[in-house]
Amino acid sequence: MRERIMRFFWPISFGILLLLLWEFGVVHHLLDLKSFQLPVPSEIATSLFENYKQAFRDMFITVSGALIGLAIGSFLGFSIAVVATIFPKWGFGGMILVTALNAVPIVALSPIMNLWFRTGMLQKIGVVTVVCMAAMAINAYYGMNDLKPFSIDLMHSAAASRWLIFKKLRLPNCLPNVFTALRINIASSIIAAIISEYFATSTAGLGFGIKDNLRKAEMAMGWSYIVVASLAGVILYLFIVLVERDVIKWHASQR
Amino acid sequence: MELTRKDRRIVTGVWLLSIIVLWELLSAFLLYVVQDNMASSKLPFPHDVLMTFISEWQTLLVAGIVTLSRAGLGFAIGGLIGIILAVIMSLSKVAEKIAFPYLIVSQMIPVLGLAPIIFNIVRDMNMSRIVIAAYITFFPVAVNMLSGFKSVEEEKKELMRSIAANRVDIYLKLMFPYSLPYLFTGLKIAAPMAVTASILVDMLGSKSGIGVKILYSLYSSSFDIFWASVFTSAFMGILSYNIVIFAERLMIPWKNVTTTKVGDK
Repeated sequence: MRERIMRFFWPISFGILLLLLWEFGVVHHLLDLKSFQLPVPSEIATSLFENYKQAFRDMFITVSGALIGLAIGSFLGFSIAVVATIFPKWGFGGMILVTALNAVPIVALSPIMNLWFRTGMLQKIGVVTVVCMAAMAINAYYGMNDLKPFSIDLMHSAAASRWLIFKKLRLPNCLPNVFTALRINIASSIIAAIISEYFATSTAGLGFGIKDNLRKAEMAMGWSYIVVASLAGVILYLFIVLVERDVIKWHASQR
Repeated sequence: MELTRKDRRIVTGVWLLSIIVLWELLSAFLLYVVQDNMASSKLPFPHDVLMTFISEWQTLLVAGIVTLSRAGLGFAIGGLIGIILAVIMSLSKVAEKIAFPYLIVSQMIPVLGLAPIIFNIVRDMNMSRIVIAAYITFFPVAVNMLSGFKSVEEEKKELMRSIAANRVDIYLKLMFPYSLPYLFTGLKIAAPMAVTASILVDMLGSKSGIGVKILYSLYSSSFDIFWASVFTSAFMGILSYNIVIFAERLMIPWKNVTTTKVGDK
């Protein structure tokens, strides 16, 4: 019990200390900032409280775009990994290209999607899809092909068909990697959605909110959008972690 | 798989070629069949983009180097901070307990979303570029390095202690070499992200760099330069990743030997 209290005690007290230092101007003093450059936590909280309806509406738009893109992208990425596993020789080359796609900066994708799609929502989904697809394809492919030595020989010796090998060996083996990819994708999908909103023509969403409030010099409001965005990220991340814990109980990383 | 080096090259080459051909066909379809008058901006012919590359290669190269060098500086600083943080966390349990949850949360904060705010605080393009690239880099480096430190077997440490090695020696001769592969895993994740950050800061109001080129060409509707710039930035991301892989080969020559022997590849 004591152990558990201590586990929370240190990080929480550190966080409170940091917030206090920030609130009472020590951080400003150290970094030589004025209060209009970096609003204090109480200001951020007040402006969030006053505008929470607007902020949550924007969050809903961004998060729903991010989640739709995440779902489409992860599905496509997983399909690519499956196809690449079924045709190992040609699939390998395809995976090299997907890896290259993974290194393409989000900010470069965003203007292209702007040209292709009329609405901000589709554009956002497009960017998130591409970003999530690459991470999922790489991780799932790795999980399907990085098998324990001799496990595939064992399957062959039992005269297992390719489909059986896929179902009983490759699929369970890639689950931990799929969840790793999902965790990566949760974080990157929200970032991708926000960045795509910086450049989109739409006038809604967290990215637009951040940019617009900073332009109007409403620093506290801009910061409260950042708080909301982080909250959304943390909640989604925790959700994935909980699902993961349930689905792959047997895996070493969960024990 | 039983692919030889030559096979791999052929497969990749065929893939690239077929994608280019497909792209040409799609552009032609868009231009001649759909008769979309935005066709040249939506999906230009690859050979047009290539021509732009050839005629504009100097300005593209300069812009790319500006962006890449600043990303590199932030990447180096962030990597250093990440390593130091990992060392501190591996030395002190309390430090780890304090810092680790915040590391996880800091990953959830949309860092690139912070870009305009950081720019507002430091008021200097180069500075904010370096800060953001460093911020993005330190997390994967710190987390991977720490898990590298933790995976050193206790017996090895005890052996070092039994020959009266001090802490510095243990770190220099055992912990660091052992966790180098982990460090490079982190660096590989961080490198393209640092480039992304640098390009984003370009776009938010810098005067030079590839991001500025993307935005300006977009506003002035010179779509051939736009596409060439987008491709340049994509190459920069891929390049940064490959630089890290190259450095990894140089610094961990033993890794390739072991990975080719173990396992079924």
